[in-house]
Amino acid sequence: MPRALRALSVVVLLLAAAAALCAQAIEYSRPVETAPQQETIGGGYKTPAVQKPLPRGWWLDILDVVLLCAAMGASVWIVIKRRKRRWLVGLSIASLAYFGFYREGCICPIGSIQNVVVALADPKYSIPMVAIAVFFMPLVVAVFFGRAFCGGVCPLGAMQELVVIKPLRVPKRLDQGLGLLKYVYLALAILFALKPALTRDFLICRFDPFVGFFRFTGAPYMLATGGVFLIGGMFIGRPYCRYLCPYGGLLSWCSRLARKGVTITPDKELDCGLCTEACPYGAIDQMRAVGRKCLYCARCYASCPCDGELAQAKKALVGIGGAQ
Amino acid sequence: MTSAQLRRAAWAAGAVILAGIAILTADWVIASIRAPRDDRTVKALQQKVKEDPAVSAKLDAEQKRITDARRARRIRDRAVGWTLIACSAIFLGAVKRLIARSAPKAVEMSRIAAPISTGKKRKRKRKTCCGAHAHDPAAALDLGFVDEAVAQHGRGREAAIPLLQAIQQHYRYLPDEAMRRLCEITDITPAEIAGTSSFYGQFRSTPVGKHIVRVCHGTACHVAGARQISDELRRRLKIPEGFDTDADRMFTLEEVACLGCCSLAPVLMVDEHTAGRLTPATAAAALEEVEEKEPA
Repeated sequence: MPRALRALSVVVLLLAAAAALCAQAIEYSRPVETAPQQETIGGGYKTPAVQKPLPRGWWLDILDVVLLCAAMGASVWIVIKRRKRRWLVGLSIASLAYFGFYREGCICPIGSIQNVVVALADPKYSIPMVAIAVFFMPLVVAVFFGRAFCGGVCPLGAMQELVVIKPLRVPKRLDQGLGLLKYVYLALAILFALKPALTRDFLICRFDPFVGFFRFTGAPYMLATGGVFLIGGMFIGRPYCRYLCPYGGLLSWCSRLARKGVTITPDKELDCGLCTEACPYGAIDQMRAVGRKCLYCARCYASCPCDGELAQAKKALVGIGGAQ
Repeated sequence: MTSAQLRRAAWAAGAVILAGIAILTADWVIASIRAPRDDRTVKALQQKVKEDPAVSAKLDAEQKRITDARRARRIRDRAVGWTLIACSAIFLGAVKRLIARSAPKAVEMSRIAAPISTGKKRKRKRKTCCGAHAHDPAAALDLGFVDEAVAQHGRGREAAIPLLQAIQQHYRYLPDEAMRRLCEITDITPAEIAGTSSFYGQFRSTPVGKHIVRVCHGTACHVAGARQISDELRRRLKIPEGFDTDADRMFTLEEVACLGCCSLAPVLMVDEHTAGRLTPATAAAALEEVEEKEPA
C-alpha cells in the first residue's frame, strides 16, 4: 500500500511538473531590437547594464540543477549510508557557499513554490525550467528518502544548522502548535501569488530572513529579523525550518511516504535514548525517527554509542590501547 | 587549543561581531538621515542650473561627492559583512568546542534523566510532593504505634513476624527508631529482628516511595528487553546504583520475577496499574501519567 501511494505521489508530482513545463512554453523575448542599439548611436556609447541580476547562461542554469541533484544525493549517501555528521557539516558549508553566497540565495525551492503556482494559474507567465526542476526534485527525493534537501543542501537550513550551539527541547504541544504556522504561511504565499499580475506579491521571497545576508544588502528590518532567527537558532534548533518554512510543509507531507529515510532501528542501535537527546529538532519520538520532522542532520547517528562516530572513535581508541 | 584560548577567541570574535553590527547600524542610520538631505540639495542645484549654467560645476561636484560616499559605504559594509561571517565562524567554532568540553557524559546522563519536555510540570509537582516528605520522616517518627502493636500482638519471640508486618504496614518500611523501640519493650533481641527482617523479602529497611513500580524481569520480559526498561526508569528517576527509590520518594523501583502477563512483555506495574508492550520511552510515560494524576 505505501508503495502504491509512493508511486502515485511521484506520478502526481511528475504530472504537475509537466503541467508547469507546458505552462512555461512561451518564447521569451525582449523587444529591445526596435530601440536604438549601441552601434547605431555611435560615438563610443555603451549600453549600460541596467538589469540585475543579469540573466545566466543556460548551461549555468543546468549546472545549478545538476549541483542540486548531486548535493541531495550526497546528503542521502552521507546520512543514510555513511552516517557521518562531519561530512554533512562539510556539505552544509559547501551548499551555503554555493547556493547561498555565490548564487545569492536564488533560485531556491522555497521561493519556487510561488513561481510554480503562478505558472499553473496564469497562462501569460513564463517560468524558467530551472524553477520547475528546483521545485519538484526535492519533493520527489522526499517521497523516497525524506527531507534530504533540508539537511546539507538548503542554504537557509545550512545557515541555521551551523549556528545551533545549545539546543533546548521545545515542549511537544508548543512544537506542534508552532509547526502549523508554516501551513498558514504556505496558504498566504499561494494566495498572494495567485493575485492578478499587478498586485501579485511573492511573500516568501520578500520576507526571506536570510537572503539579505547572502546578498550583503536588504531591508534593515528583514536583516534584523534574520539576525533574531540566527541568535534564537543557537538555542532552538532551526526555528525557520521547523515553524515557518512553507516548503518544509510540502516536504514533510511528501516524506510521510518515505521508507528509506533516517531510521533508528533496534537491530543496529541500543534503544538507549542518546539519539533523542542529541536531536535538536524533536524528531525522535519514543526512540524512533519521525520522518516528517527529521531534518537530516545526522546528529542521532553521531551520538550513537553502537553505530556512529562515537562508536568509531571508541573502536579507534581501543585499537590504540591494544597496540600499546 | 586550551579552553582558555578558546574562551579568549570566542570573546574576541563576539566583540568584533558586536562592533561590526554597530558599524553597520550606524552606517545605516547616517545614510538614512543623509539621503533625503542630499536629494534635496541636488534637486535645488538642478533648479538653479536651469537659471544659471555656471552652477553646473557645483552640481557635478555635489553629485560626485554623493556617489563616492554611497560607493564607499557599500565597500565598507561588504568588508564588515565578510568580517562578520569570519568572526561568526570563529565564535561558533570556539563556543561549540567549549560546550563539548564542558559537558562530559555525566551531564549528558543527567539531561537524559530529566527530559526538558516534561521538566516544568515535574518540577512543580515535585515541590508539592516534597512538601509531604520535606522533613526526614525518621526524625519526627511517632512511635506510639509500636506500643499499640505490641499490646495487640504480644511481647514474645513468636510475635516477631506479625509485629514487623504491622509496623511495616503502618510506616511502609521498618524505621530504625521503631526497631529500637520494639527491642526495648519486647523480649525480641536486636539480632532476631535484624535476622528476621533481612531474611524475608517482604520487609524493607529503607523508606518506600509513594508509588511502587514493579518491572517484570520474567523470562518473556527479559527477552523483550526488561533490562532496558529498568535502566531507562533508573536514569529518568535519577536512582543511583544500589538504591531503589528516587530522591523525592515518589517511586520505588522493584524488579520482580513475573507479573503473569507474558503476552504483554515487557511489562511493569505502577501500584495497581499495568502497562505493557513497553519501550523505554513508553515506560517512562507510564510513570509520568501516574505523576500527573496526583492531586497537586
